[in-house]
Amino acid sequence: MKNKLKYFYSYVPLIIFSILVLFFARQLILKEDPSELPSALLDEKFPSITLSRLADYELFSNKNLMDTDNPSLVNIWSSWCVPCKVEHEFLMRMREEHNIIIYGINYKDNKEDALKVLDLNDNPFYAIGVDQDGMQSINLGVYGVPETFIIDRSGNIRYRHVGPILEYDMEKIILPIIIKIKQEKL
Amino acid sequence: MRSLIKFIFFFFIITNSVLAADSSGPKDKVAYELYKELRCLVCQNQSLLESNAPLALDLKKVVMDKIELGQSKSEIKTFLVDRYGEFILLKPKYSIQNFLLWLGPIFFLLIGFFITFAFLKKQSVYKEEPLPLTDEEENSLKKILDNNVS
Repeated sequence: MKNKLKYFYSYVPLIIFSILVLFFARQLILKEDPSELPSALLDEKFPSITLSRLADYELFSNKNLMDTDNPSLVNIWSSWCVPCKVEHEFLMRMREEHNIIIYGINYKDNKEDALKVLDLNDNPFYAIGVDQDGMQSINLGVYGVPETFIIDRSGNIRYRHVGPILEYDMEKIILPIIIKIKQEKL
Repeated sequence: MRSLIKFIFFFFIITNSVLAADSSGPKDKVAYELYKELRCLVCQNQSLLESNAPLALDLKKVVMDKIELGQSKSEIKTFLVDRYGEFILLKPKYSIQNFLLWLGPIFFLLIGFFITFAFLKKQSVYKEEPLPLTDEEENSLKKILDNNVS
């Protein structure tokens, strides 16, 4: 008996080592960015926000996000935000190739600059609301632009994307979730 | 010369911290405490108090507005945790999910004590007084010593 116990003890370092390897491998393999925060609002109603109009562009409110036939995206952007420029191309593609309704929240921006971006690079947004002092976005838990929320047909937040949407994010993350929501029965 | 160098050295050490302490913070005590306990989400290991990032300034404004509205510290914290998650608190809550975080170090300390204790006990076995020589051994020892002398 005593001998058997001793035999077991000699394996303890190996066991601890294996546990540590698994623990660290998880981070390596999943490639999760620990600085990226999960949304605290996941699967909850899109919080109520009040936005103002940007020039002649259509304005949207919480009503538009609630009880619609289609899921929608809410994208927080700004003319001074460089990743937003990178993302713009993919927002356009989602609107044109996949008929996705995208609502834009113009975050702490200069009005003229925002209009210039939309004039020069086309407008991917179905409707736009301005959050001049950033307070509405705090209500959404936004901590950097761009951020994108996927809203399901009953107005709940289903996914939150931090940072620009690139090819991979669009094809492998955003579109599959949209398709999944469309297949759900109301 | 030496004292001059020392003087310059300490002068810069002290003035540095004075200049950096731009974050003297608000006069309101509750606001000051909240700023210290909340994380700036842009520069993630700084508190709101230390941060001048635009988002941190906005969050400070939110905190200030809510204090003026008469909200309590925990109400304001709940508001922010609901939106940004528990991560915004620099000090994690004492909850079941966090028990490993809080009790883990104590647990490992105890393991350490246990191992140290076991190790010392094992060592003390060899430190026991050696048994006295038997008569037979005593005689043979004497023989050897006598032989060497002659």
